[in-house]
Amino acid sequence: MDIKEETVGSALVVSLDGRLDGVTAPDLQAQVVAAVERGDSKVLLDCDAMSYVSSAGLRALLICARRCQQAGGKLALARLRPECHSVLEMSGFLTVIDCHDTSEAALAALS
Amino acid sequence: MLTFHEEIMVLLLHDENGTFLPVNEHTLNSALTGAVLMDLAFANRIDTDPERLTVIDPTPTGDPLLDRTLARIAGEATVTNTRTWIETLSADEASADPAKTIREAALTSLVEHGVLERREEKFLWVFRSRRYPTIDGKVEQEAKKRIADVLFSDEVPDPRDVALICLVDACNILRTIFSKKEIDRVEPRLEQLRKMDLIGREMASAIADIERAIAIAAAHTF
Repeated sequence: MDIKEETVGSALVVSLDGRLDGVTAPDLQAQVVAAVERGDSKVLLDCDAMSYVSSAGLRALLICARRCQQAGGKLALARLRPECHSVLEMSGFLTVIDCHDTSEAALAALS
Repeated sequence: MLTFHEEIMVLLLHDENGTFLPVNEHTLNSALTGAVLMDLAFANRIDTDPERLTVIDPTPTGDPLLDRTLARIAGEATVTNTRTWIETLSADEASADPAKTIREAALTSLVEHGVLERREEKFLWVFRSRRYPTIDGKVEQEAKKRIADVLFSDEVPDPRDVALICLVDACNILRTIFSKKEIDRVEPRLEQLRKMDLIGREMASAIADIERAIAIAAAHTF
């Protein structure tokens, strides 16, 4: 998975490209946790190019969301593909992590 | 840190006398098998999605029980789903009583870690009974506190706590920790958490199907 970061306003936008699974989830988790520890607790995961999410990926998302919340911020998802959206919906993750159709809407919710 | 199969075993023991809470055999088989798969998943050895359970790292963990299960899964040529593995492992031909195998491994480890003590007792001068009282009750109290903290809040839960709650719920022992009124109060939160661990979901579904089949069989018998 390719993970890219950029700061937009007060939020950190992390773009994910590829599969979020047991092999790649630890990298995303480490990157977001490091960002929260340096003060970036409003995090937007742009999932437009994320093609797959497994249970390890879901666990990493939960840990990232929890860390952001504990630091007084929030994690939001944007532009989930239908195949990933259905996994998050089925597993009830969309009841604890906000998901938006566009990055702009997610950024507005984070600001 | 305890494994899930050790932690659920601590919660399956009566506080004071160290005997086991009553749980159906089929429920215990599926729950303990689910706990072992959760342990492998959290150790980054296996990964799952709704269709598949795959080995992502066959390196042994150092825990003999987990490593036997990992080798068994890794040795299977056909990739199958979590539900099939729970059913296969919980009715394993290699072990006459899979729950007993997991339970004994967990109890031995818990005694070695100083969490429980093993007491052999005789009654009527002939019959032996074995009890496992907790040494200071700290592990059990901490596990119960983690469960309560998640159930009685709206915070984003930790994945380990979600998995533990799925196990406790599957074994139907929440009623030994909370009152009926408290369980009724947290039911919406419980419903949310039940879905969140993919292995926990499949384990609960397997148990529900067996219970349904038993109920149908019983209805035809009488």
